[in-house]
Amino acid sequence: MNEAHAMSAWSSMQSRAKLAALVLGLVTSFGAVGQTSAPVKIGMIYAKQGPSASLGEFLARGSEMAVEQAGNKVLGRPIELIWLDEPDPQVAQQNMQKLIDESKVIAVVGGNSSASALAMMSVAAREKIPLILPGAAASEITGKGCNRYTFRTQATVPVQMRGIMPYVSQLGKKVYFITPSYAFGQDIIRSSRGMLMEIGATEVGSDEVPVNTADYSSYILKIRQAKPDVVIGGLVGLDLSNFLKQWSELGMKDKIPYVEIAVSDTDFWNIGPAASTGIYVKPWYYNYPGNTPTEKKFVADFTKKYGRPPSDKAFSGWIAMKSLLESIEQAKSTDPKAIVTALEKWRYVDGSFPTFYREWDHQLIRPAVIVGVKKNITDQWDYFDVLKLTSSTEAETAKAFGTREEVGCNMGPL
Amino acid sequence: MLEILLSQVVNGLVLGFIYVLIAVGLSITFGLLGIVNFAHGAFFALGAYAAYQLYQMFGWPAVVFAPIVVGIVGMVVEVIIIRRLYGKEPLLSLVVTFALALLIEALIRVFWGSDGKPFSPPPALAGVIEYGPLFITKYRVAVLVATTLTLAALWLFLSYTPYGRILRAGSRDPEMVDMLGINLPRVLTAVFGLGCALAAIAGVLAGPLWTVSPSMAANAIMPAFVVVAIGGLGSFRGATVAGLAVGVVTALTIQFKPDAAAASMYAFMFLVLLLRPRGLFGERWERFE
Repeated sequence: MNEAHAMSAWSSMQSRAKLAALVLGLVTSFGAVGQTSAPVKIGMIYAKQGPSASLGEFLARGSEMAVEQAGNKVLGRPIELIWLDEPDPQVAQQNMQKLIDESKVIAVVGGNSSASALAMMSVAAREKIPLILPGAAASEITGKGCNRYTFRTQATVPVQMRGIMPYVSQLGKKVYFITPSYAFGQDIIRSSRGMLMEIGATEVGSDEVPVNTADYSSYILKIRQAKPDVVIGGLVGLDLSNFLKQWSELGMKDKIPYVEIAVSDTDFWNIGPAASTGIYVKPWYYNYPGNTPTEKKFVADFTKKYGRPPSDKAFSGWIAMKSLLESIEQAKSTDPKAIVTALEKWRYVDGSFPTFYREWDHQLIRPAVIVGVKKNITDQWDYFDVLKLTSSTEAETAKAFGTREEVGCNMGPL
Repeated sequence: MLEILLSQVVNGLVLGFIYVLIAVGLSITFGLLGIVNFAHGAFFALGAYAAYQLYQMFGWPAVVFAPIVVGIVGMVVEVIIIRRLYGKEPLLSLVVTFALALLIEALIRVFWGSDGKPFSPPPALAGVIEYGPLFITKYRVAVLVATTLTLAALWLFLSYTPYGRILRAGSRDPEMVDMLGINLPRVLTAVFGLGCALAAIAGVLAGPLWTVSPSMAANAIMPAFVVVAIGGLGSFRGATVAGLAVGVVTALTIQFKPDAAAASMYAFMFLVLLLRPRGLFGERWERFE
């Protein structure tokens, strides 16, 4: 009898659950008809693990800050961010597909590694979903491999290399390369070789290093043996941290100068002042006096929220998300094609000349900063002196990013 | 050329010693408990973080307590989770310890953040030693000494103390050991703790070399598995020889074909297993066959 009672209670519970599900279904379908308060879903693909985890964390924080500054709303609707991982190109590509298929995002901001970015942008083109890359410097992304749905904020490898070459030429004539073995590293070597000829320098060695290498002592022994005047690097995230830490441990820090492009503050915060050295190109620096008022507000907001200043990755994530949100507002629609058109017309006038995505290759046109590690680091976060910008006027900046023929991007219709 | 080769081989040997230390703990946990501990790398990372934390709070000498702390954490984990896996099929222990590895890494992220922690060698050990073609940092020499001492102590403990005999007997015939009136569960808890403490010692030593970050777990576990596979599962001697060999193979690959450096140890493992499927010093174990 007890059992029968329990059974009937169970079945009544089941039918009640069914009823609740039905009501819930009806309510959501009404919501879909109304559309007014349904959230706008935006995907983010940033590393949560592996050597780029701290880069990913700051990229995400920057993007979230842009959403927060917009009052968590776009077109009057709440914004819902969905953050998936970028551990390697394959998973990054799958996550891009997942965001589109399962989460039904209207756009994706993400992709820090050039290798992941190249994999993700093919999905963007196929699914016709806008993708804004805050990192990924390899030139083919907005060059031969470009597509209509992909935008990129970081300056290309050749632009950054050209910025650092005058410093290389001051340091000496014998150059050694230590670069990661994928698109970004290969682009560094390809771009530099021509420029080395121009400054009359020669290459005395070149090592391609597998991603996620923990110990660099054997590479450092090779570099030491080759006796270069300067080392041009291309290691990313923790790989760079590990390299610099061992570079300093093996006593090379003050012997052979190290230069690199597309680095981030966290690469140095990870290892502390003792091991930090070198001259670098990076997208942005929080403590650069020339930062615009909007950027200074971003620094203040970020520092207040996280208790530490934003790295350049935070800035990249911020400006990528900001450009997307402003373009959605401009398009007055969440239609992917309308967003792409609006992004192509997006102008951000804050400093002395505008920042924008160039219409025919979707490259963000703005100078990067050239920085040197301070002789005496006294602050917990302030490691760099800004030496110069890669270009200082509007005309010079446009020229630095190359002509249509040099870039070689042929974009199809929407 | 000979000079740089010699210097690379020595460098590879030093690196190999760290691999040995990571792998020996893994090998002991497997050999004595029959558990393939995927979370071994996570305990390695935990060791580095514990050392960093103790250093921040009490200075360098406190760092020696890091392995003890991690060993205790390991024993707690054994009592709560690992104990239930004894005698079950190996796949189960793989899945559970893999989940454990993810959990520990996530906890590290929660407590310490996902960015790296600056942790440099102690000032007394900064600087390099140059002797002919050999070029090595003082800290790496210290690592070499510490590792050798740890391995020697472990070997003496397992071979010549009554506790070591109980451990070895327990791994071969747990029932008999139980019948002799020895509290086997407590012994097994201690073994797992010992394995974790060894991982932590490696983590402490590697902390000032590699950046202390949550992903160092993944950097440690793969070489450790390769070393254990090459050396033979559960073999102390095998892990030592294989660890040193992997270090040298990696260093020499960097000299001649740097882009293949990460793949070289796998190619080496493939070769060894092709010739000796049980690894270099793998014995026939009735329990696992």
